Amino acid sequence: MNRINPLYVGISLFVILIFVFLKLSSVSDEYYDAKESYKETLTLVNELSGLKEVYANKSIAKKSLQKILNHSSLKSVEIKQKNTKSTIKLSCASMDMKALNFLMGKILNGTYQVKNLKIKQLSKIRATLDMEIKW
Amino acid sequence: MKFNKFNKKLPTLFLDPLSEYGAIDSSVNIILSPSLYWVKKVSLPVKYARDAKKLLPSIFEDILPDGKYNYYAYKSDDEFIIFAYSDKLIIDTLAQKGIPLSNVANIYFAQSEVTGIEGALKINEAQSIYVKDEILILVPCCWIEEKGELDLAKINLSKHNIALEKFGHIVETKSLYKIGAILMVLILLITTEYFITADKVSTILTAKDELFEKNSLQSTTFQNKSMLKKYKAIHQSQTNLRDIMSVILSLRLKSDEKISFIDMKSKKIIISFSGVKEGKERAIINTLKAKKLQFKKSFVKENMKIEVRL
Repeated sequence: MNRINPLYVGISLFVILIFVFLKLSSVSDEYYDAKESYKETLTLVNELSGLKEVYANKSIAKKSLQKILNHSSLKSVEIKQKNTKSTIKLSCASMDMKALNFLMGKILNGTYQVKNLKIKQLSKIRATLDMEIKW
Repeated sequence: MKFNKFNKKLPTLFLDPLSEYGAIDSSVNIILSPSLYWVKKVSLPVKYARDAKKLLPSIFEDILPDGKYNYYAYKSDDEFIIFAYSDKLIIDTLAQKGIPLSNVANIYFAQSEVTGIEGALKINEAQSIYVKDEILILVPCCWIEEKGELDLAKINLSKHNIALEKFGHIVETKSLYKIGAILMVLILLITTEYFITADKVSTILTAKDELFEKNSLQSTTFQNKSMLKKYKAIHQSQTNLRDIMSVILSLRLKSDEKISFIDMKSKKIIISFSGVKEGKERAIINTLKAKKLQFKKSFVKENMKIEVRL
């Protein structure tokens, strides 16, 4: 017969329809996974960037710490600084309670990563301080 | 059954409801007996056969029994030879004679193929064909004296062949077109949706890569997750340190009780209280417990040591 059997055309169209439907279904799953993965990555990136900004931003931490150490409340106190590549060590053989309160208040209210801390009372109004801050 | 080679390939078969045939297991060309179609020779006010076809349903209207018919026409000199035929009748006859539709190559009308015969020719035991007024007609054998049998070998098939609508009697052609059109529209829509979705996937993956690049992060999620875990641990430890210091520094101590020493290293913090005798530490301990701190305590003379894990 010269004419194409309409049933064959219908079956072919139906098979093509099933095929494209399966492809669409597969790519839809891929899209859903990609969307979920993107959301997860976005959350990860936001959390990680925020934490890195807080705990690993050396220049900001160093600058703000220097500002605290230069404050008038600590001018009379001899605080020694020792810098390494990833830390700064602060030590003071004797400091008054007012200066100690000021310094600790600033450090603990800030986002510094305190690695070591040692405070020893010398007298009623004086104490020693050793502190290591990391970034 | 009479076979003949056509174009050195296919045999030809004269199909009539009263003829008998053997098993057909290869492709054949079919010549329809006049009993399987209606034919007329007419003059029509049109130039081409394709224009004439549009007029055929109304020309045959009053002579055809109820049913669904297809039409064919070709020009012969200044007139048209027009045909009406039922696909279902032909398909049923083929089935009745045991001829598979799949073995039917082309179908012709006896009118167009059996030409130039003189007198009557026998086609089976009961019938003959005969040309009257240029129209091939079927007559009973006894009506006219035959000059022999129809020899299919001498017939050169013309181009006037028809195609059967095998499913036309089940579903109307218009319905088939509609179903086909709907399927194609669906295919088109789904394909478009596929490409749109694939493009979205690609955009999301690019955006994900850009996120890593923009925030100067490691190239893999695994590395970044590991880094996040490390920073979360640092954050937890630093938060704990501040919480503990806040609790310790807000303790209400007696006048002779003092915090003499604070030492924090290796994820633990030790606080030493002077002037706190063993058994007199209840107020401090109760406060620490109320703040839900996990701690260990020890005494050296009048010094109480509290050890808290960060």
